[in-house]
Amino acid sequence: MNWTLFSIGAEGWGDELLWGFALTMTLAVAAYVIGTVIGLLAALALLSKSRVLRSVSAAYGTVFRSVPELLILFLTYYGAALMIRSAFAMIGIDLRVSLDAFTAGVVALALVHGAYTAEVFRGAIISVPTGLREAARSLGMTPFVTFHRITFPVALRYAFPGLSNLWMVMIKNTPLVSAIGLADLIGQANTAGQNTKHYFAFFTAALIAYLLVSAVSLWGQLRLERNLTRHLPKQGSWSP
Amino acid sequence: MIMDFETLLSTLPGFAEGLGWTLFLTVSVLFFGMIIALMIVPCRLSQNWLANGFGLTFVFVFRGAPLLVLLFLVYYGVPELPIVRDTFLWHAFQYPVFCAILSLSFNSAGYLTEVIVGAVRAVPRGEVEAAHVAGLSRWAVIKGVIAPNAIRLGLRNYGNEMVFVVKATSVASLVTIQELMARASGVYYRTYDPITPLLVAGAIFLVLIMALSRFMAFLEVRLSPELSRKAETARSGAGKPAASINAVDGPSLPQTPQTGR
Repeated sequence: MNWTLFSIGAEGWGDELLWGFALTMTLAVAAYVIGTVIGLLAALALLSKSRVLRSVSAAYGTVFRSVPELLILFLTYYGAALMIRSAFAMIGIDLRVSLDAFTAGVVALALVHGAYTAEVFRGAIISVPTGLREAARSLGMTPFVTFHRITFPVALRYAFPGLSNLWMVMIKNTPLVSAIGLADLIGQANTAGQNTKHYFAFFTAALIAYLLVSAVSLWGQLRLERNLTRHLPKQGSWSP
Repeated sequence: MIMDFETLLSTLPGFAEGLGWTLFLTVSVLFFGMIIALMIVPCRLSQNWLANGFGLTFVFVFRGAPLLVLLFLVYYGVPELPIVRDTFLWHAFQYPVFCAILSLSFNSAGYLTEVIVGAVRAVPRGEVEAAHVAGLSRWAVIKGVIAPNAIRLGLRNYGNEMVFVVKATSVASLVTIQELMARASGVYYRTYDPITPLLVAGAIFLVLIMALSRFMAFLEVRLSPELSRKAETARSGAGKPAASINAVDGPSLPQTPQTGR
């Protein structure tokens, strides 16, 4: 095993791989945050009284959970700019937009993540006991305050296992962005492999990096879960 | 820019061929993934710490590793190893299809193992004990009590896993396999229309997966008719933590959040 392959500097690929790793994590965090917001809004739409909102959100969920992530990524990267342009052309504005690979990656992964998150939030919100909501309403809280102060904090605890699981899913989806030319961890490992013909070493290193992220995330998840449930009697699996 | 209808029609035979590849990959991966998982499940269920540790490590590695990394490692990396380079294995690893099926199967097996383990653990203990007391042999208990129960309890999660396998086969396009995704990209490079071919491929995936989940839901109701009333309310996507339909007849399948991948 030739360790100079991974050294930092001109002859090694260590710094390139680290930059790739940083890009992967930035992308994952950005897509996760945006996707979670999309998911919450989609869940509220699913639970709303409006039939139109309900069906739009349901269609969004079905499509983005059924179509492969790679396809959504390609469609966003190659197609979104064109779609926006044609939409503006229809109202007579010649708008030239372009979407760089990073933005396209974040948007595509966030949209997919949002579709799954919507289901998690929907399940969590309907699991909140109705009594809590009724009590809040009878104390004179407005619907918004009820949601913001009562329903949402309780629902968040129910949603936690699902949300942390989706974080793992997000990490495992990020390598796809190398297919649209982003120099993420896998993109860099691939370049390094092409240049040195040591594919095995570089992809193994990438694999270990992903497993480490998984392990750290699992550990963090357990810590947080214990923290969230510390008001509950300790025993077995938790349910708030 | 956007292609006309006749060009679109001329691409359809290509898409049909791509669909064939997608289905072939899916069926192979489901088959080999199940075989691998069935070898790991006894380890996970064993009391022996060594066997259990092996099972846990297997699941951690193949569930924690992104599919694309596995695929590239197998396709680009493994042929470098002397044991592969200097033996007949080299010929096998020359074929992208072999590499794709291998890596997808191991990846799927990681998830599948946990699906099966969860289902087996959800089988009511009392039934198993009763079968033992009645003097049934080990094999008879597995065949007559554990397996039928576990199949019913695990069906929903298995259905989810099937959907993920169908979606995951699209990654094979990145190692030159001409499945649906690759066909769509091919049409894009020829016509410079990125939207239409991807939408066509997306629609095919959508129909395929909706048909698959409908079928699995139907199968679930057929196998557990007593659940059919609840099945409607519980039908929802992956990662949902609470309320499983299995709660109805006593044995509850812990819908481990990990099942939605």
